[in-house]
Amino acid sequence: MTTQTKPPPQTSSALNLPVRRFTVAEYYAMAEAGILKEEERVELIDGVIVTMSPMGNPHRATVNRLSRMMFAAVGTRAIVQVQSSITLDDRTMPEPDLALLRERADFYETEDTYPDDVLLLIEVADSSVGYDRHEKLPRYARAGIPEVWITVLPERIIEAHAEPVAGRYTRNRIYVPGDTISPGALPDIELVVGDILPE
Amino acid sequence: MVTAQTKPPPPSADVAQLPLRRFTVDEYYAMAEAGILKEGERVELIDGVVVEMAPIGNNHMGTTDLYTMSLVRGVGDRAIVRVQGSILLAERSMPEPDLVLLRARQDFYRYRAAVPDDVLLLIEVAESSVNYDRYQKLPRYAQAGIPEVWITVLPERIIEAHAEPVAGRYTRNRIYVPGDTISPGALPDIELVVGDILPE
Repeated sequence: MTTQTKPPPQTSSALNLPVRRFTVAEYYAMAEAGILKEEERVELIDGVIVTMSPMGNPHRATVNRLSRMMFAAVGTRAIVQVQSSITLDDRTMPEPDLALLRERADFYETEDTYPDDVLLLIEVADSSVGYDRHEKLPRYARAGIPEVWITVLPERIIEAHAEPVAGRYTRNRIYVPGDTISPGALPDIELVVGDILPE
Repeated sequence: MVTAQTKPPPPSADVAQLPLRRFTVDEYYAMAEAGILKEGERVELIDGVVVEMAPIGNNHMGTTDLYTMSLVRGVGDRAIVRVQGSILLAERSMPEPDLVLLRARQDFYRYRAAVPDDVLLLIEVAESSVNYDRYQKLPRYAQAGIPEVWITVLPERIIEAHAEPVAGRYTRNRIYVPGDTISPGALPDIELVVGDILPE
C-alpha cells in the first residue's frame, strides 16, 4: 500500500494488439461455417481479415464498364474474373476488382487462382486509393503479379505498374483520358482511358 | 500514350493499419467449434479482434499457481476462483485473465458466460506482456465495470492494484511491493503477502 500510481493512459484501439492471423484454409473454413457471410466484402491480407469499403455507384459502374470492354476484347484468349479472389500466398487472398487470368479449359474449377495465373489485375479506387496504393500494390509486387492498374476515380487517371523486381514495380506510369492503355500480356487490346473514366 | 512516370510506391505499412473485420463473441465461439481456433491456442477476443497471448513462462505459471492456492484457501466457498478462463466483457470482447474471483454460484457458471457483474477481482500476471495488460486490457476492464484488477508485474516485483472504475477509468490505483499485504476489496479478510507472491 505504498505509492499512488498515475492512472494509466486509456486507449480504445485494438489495432496495437498482436492479432491472431489466419491462413487461407482457415479463411475458407470461416466462410463454410457461416462466420463470414457470402455477401460480406472482405479479403485476407497477411492473415488479417480486412473489410473492404462499400462500393459506390461510380465504382460499380467503372467495374461494369471495364468488364464489358475486357470480355469483348479478350474473347477466349483469357478469363476475365470480376471481384473474386486471388491466392497470393498462404495468408493473403485479396479480391481485386478485375483480373485477367490465363485461359484454362476448366476455368480454375479445381484450384485457386495464383499469381502465376494472372496476366493483369485491375483495382478501381474511390475512397480506397491509399489502401490500394500502399497496402495492396506492394503485396501484388511481392507475389509477382506482372501488371496492376489502379483506376483512380477522383483523379480520373489509371496508374499502371509493371515489371515487379524484388517486391517493387519498376515500371510505373500514369494514363489520363486521351491516352489508350494496353495489357502487357495482350498488347493488341487497346482501351481508351476516356471511355473507362468518362467525365 | 504514356504521360508521366510516377514515383514508386512507399513500402507497405503494417497490417495493423487496415480496417479489420471484427468478430462477435458468437462468431468467436463458432471459430472454436469449426476447429479454426484450436483448443490449446492461447487467444482472446479484444474489441472483436482475435489476439494472440504471449506464451506463459515458468515464473508466470508458478505465480498463477501460488495465487490459485492462496485464493482457494482464503475464499473457501464464498467465491469461485477461475484460473485462465474467459470473461464475457462485451459483445466483442472475451479476454482470458490469469485469475478471476467470481461471485459464488451453485451452478459454477456452467450454463452461461461469466460477465463483469459476476467478477469480484481480476488478476493478471505479467512477464513480457505488461504493456498489453496495462494499456490494452486494463482500460477495457474499467469500461466494463470490473470492480478491481491486480496486475502482477514479475520483472518489477510489484502488484498494481486498480479499483473503483468511474467513467471507464480506475480512480484508485496503488502499487504494492514485497513487505506489503494485499486484500481483495470484496473480501477484505483475505490477506495475501506480496513477498510470497513475488519472491526474490
